[in-house]
Amino acid sequence: MKICVCVKHVPDTAATIKIDGETGFKDSEIKFVVNPYDEYGVEEAVKLKEKNGGEVVIVTVGKPEAAATIRSALAMGADRAILVTTDSQFLDASLTAKALKAAMEKDGLPDLIFTGKGSVDTESFQTQYRLAHSLGIPVVNEVSTLSVDGKKAVAELEVGGGDKQVIEMGLPCVIGATKGLNEPRYPKFPDIMKAKKKKIDEMTLADLGLDASAQGVTLEKLEPVPERTGAKMIEGSVEEQVTELIRILKQDEKVL
Amino acid sequence: MDFDLTKEQEMIRKEVRKFARNEIAPKAGDLDENEEFSEDLTRKMGEIGLFGMFVSEAYEGQAMDYISYIIAVEEIARIDGSQAATIAAGNSLGIGPIYYFGTEDQKQKYLPKLCAGEGLWGFGLTEPTAGSDAGGSKTTAVLDGNEWVINGSKIFITNAACDMTMGVTVQAVTGTRDNGKPEYSCILVEAGTPGFKAVPMHKKMMWRASNTAELYFDDVRVPKENILGKKGDGFHQMLATLDGGRLSIGAMGLGGAQGAYDLALAYAKEREQFGQPISKFQAIAFKLADCAMEIECARNLLYKACWLKSHHRPFEKEAAMGKLYCSEVMNRVVNHAVQIHGGYGLMKEYNVERFFRDQKLLEIGEGTSEVQRLVISRYIGC
Ligand SMILES: Cc1cc2nc3c(=O)[nH]c(=O)nc-3n(C[C@H](O)[C@H](O)[C@H](O)COP(=O)(O)OP(=O)(O)OC[C@H]3O[C@@H](n4cnc5c(N)ncnc54)[C@H](O)[C@@H]3O)c2cc1C
Repeated sequence: MKICVCVKHVPDTAATIKIDGETGFKDSEIKFVVNPYDEYGVEEAVKLKEKNGGEVVIVTVGKPEAAATIRSALAMGADRAILVTTDSQFLDASLTAKALKAAMEKDGLPDLIFTGKGSVDTESFQTQYRLAHSLGIPVVNEVSTLSVDGKKAVAELEVGGGDKQVIEMGLPCVIGATKGLNEPRYPKFPDIMKAKKKKIDEMTLADLGLDASAQGVTLEKLEPVPERTGAKMIEGSVEEQVTELIRILKQDEKVL
Repeated sequence: MDFDLTKEQEMIRKEVRKFARNEIAPKAGDLDENEEFSEDLTRKMGEIGLFGMFVSEAYEGQAMDYISYIIAVEEIARIDGSQAATIAAGNSLGIGPIYYFGTEDQKQKYLPKLCAGEGLWGFGLTEPTAGSDAGGSKTTAVLDGNEWVINGSKIFITNAACDMTMGVTVQAVTGTRDNGKPEYSCILVEAGTPGFKAVPMHKKMMWRASNTAELYFDDVRVPKENILGKKGDGFHQMLATLDGGRLSIGAMGLGGAQGAYDLALAYAKEREQFGQPISKFQAIAFKLADCAMEIECARNLLYKACWLKSHHRPFEKEAAMGKLYCSEVMNRVVNHAVQIHGGYGLMKEYNVERFFRDQKLLEIGEGTSEVQRLVISRYIGC
């Protein structure tokens, strides 16, 4: 079985992002990691390979520096990788999905595809759906339990209130992984050494016949989240508090 | 000149940092509070490869370079001194002497389990009456037929009295040299040998989650082959072990300083007084600037010492400098870090208090700061 895992190179959520110009940020100063949700996908793919044999291929669309992040996924046990290089960290989901599809078609379509349930940087939660749609195959997101056998996959996802939805679908399909699916392993040091020797095939969007400027959505401007100002405590009896609250909402904040 | 780490060294840092943050950080405070050695964490550290990092694959080590090992200790110490102690002592003092001086049989017998983190090994040098003056050891080993008979005691021996302990290397007097001074040899003693008792030491101020032991040898008999290397090599083996060990203690100082600085910087940016973050007060900002600078210097010195060792150049002077400087930098950094935290810095909920306590050992263990200055002064010709 051939499994592709889509892995995004994202800033560590603990990093302090300094905006640079209109749409850039100082990426040389911060640490990048494998998008945490994608790690569940890598772990699940590697486990399936360990059980049934086959091949796990990491597919990444990102800046050339993403190679370092890909090495982490290779150290977890993936076999090789494809990196479609772009100039910007921010590529809209439709173009990303097209690039992933083209790269997979070029390499030979897999039997199963994993993505994370979303990426922690842009959080648009679309790539997996767009990719599945363009390939004409089923997709389930936020999968926390999965079993794969022969020609079908059974995925479970939490739908709130402790209820679960169980979905059976044919292969190939796209699985959006989330917390609970497994415990991603820490690579052993010798595997880190071996990861260095594994192959990363690099190609550009143009090599895949795609036009970087043909994005559905473009980033106009990055702005820091405004700092929260201190909370105001309203004193007095309940009646006085309510009266004061209404006054603030009407006059000061002008939301009523 | 090239200051870049290799890709693997960068990855080791990244993966160990992640492991330490996710697996050690949530438990470090409680283990310290309860003075508890964690077998579970030790095994997990073994699983990713933190033991036997510089040991070749022939003995199931990780076959990595020395800087990778030092980076790994640094990243663990950045989160917790006790776990870093288990790793540093396990590698430099437990595994190191067997790997460098052991016979093929000894290596085959012990290293695979030690490198997998399934067992630990202690290095018993210090005695109640012989600390800095390691040449004053009184423990004796006498050959009786095909067995060594060992008598004496050791104190403060790391990793020597937990359920995972497989044995200890003990330095003992085995005769008199031509110049009238005692002759030392190192002998391997397996846990459970009759007459050998290892007792955990409690009520430590620091490294409370690291296992420290008193060892008693009462007519302990071990086979003649348990000697490490040749009879009379003990003193030289001990000095060589400590030279490497100093680099790992240096890494603990460097990592501990970085960890305390990380906490202080984050706190200073968050804590507001007089209407602004305290990091905006020059008195606080300058402390942090000094910390950042000293950590940078400490890292450069320690990595250079490792680089010299990796390139088989003399590194003993730089190792002593690295150990001394990194441990004293950590002293200054933890002091600033607690000061920046104000009253909260004295409370256990704020981890910086643990760093403050854990620091002090680094100026005492594996050669006190005074002894490091003695070593350096000899190298510069005083
Ligand atoms: C938690 C912990 C773990 C340890 N782990 C191990 C271990 O695994 N294996 C092991 O063998 N040992 C271990 N040790 C022992 C440690 O290495 C010794 O404590 C250390 O070498 C100092 O010896 P001492 O405590 O006897 O102090 P002393 O040697 O008595 O020193 C007391 C003071 O006198 C100073 N002094 C001594 N001689 C001189 C001199 N010539 N010139 C100037 N000043 C001098 C010292 O610097 C120090 O300030 C450990 C200790 C601790 C606390």
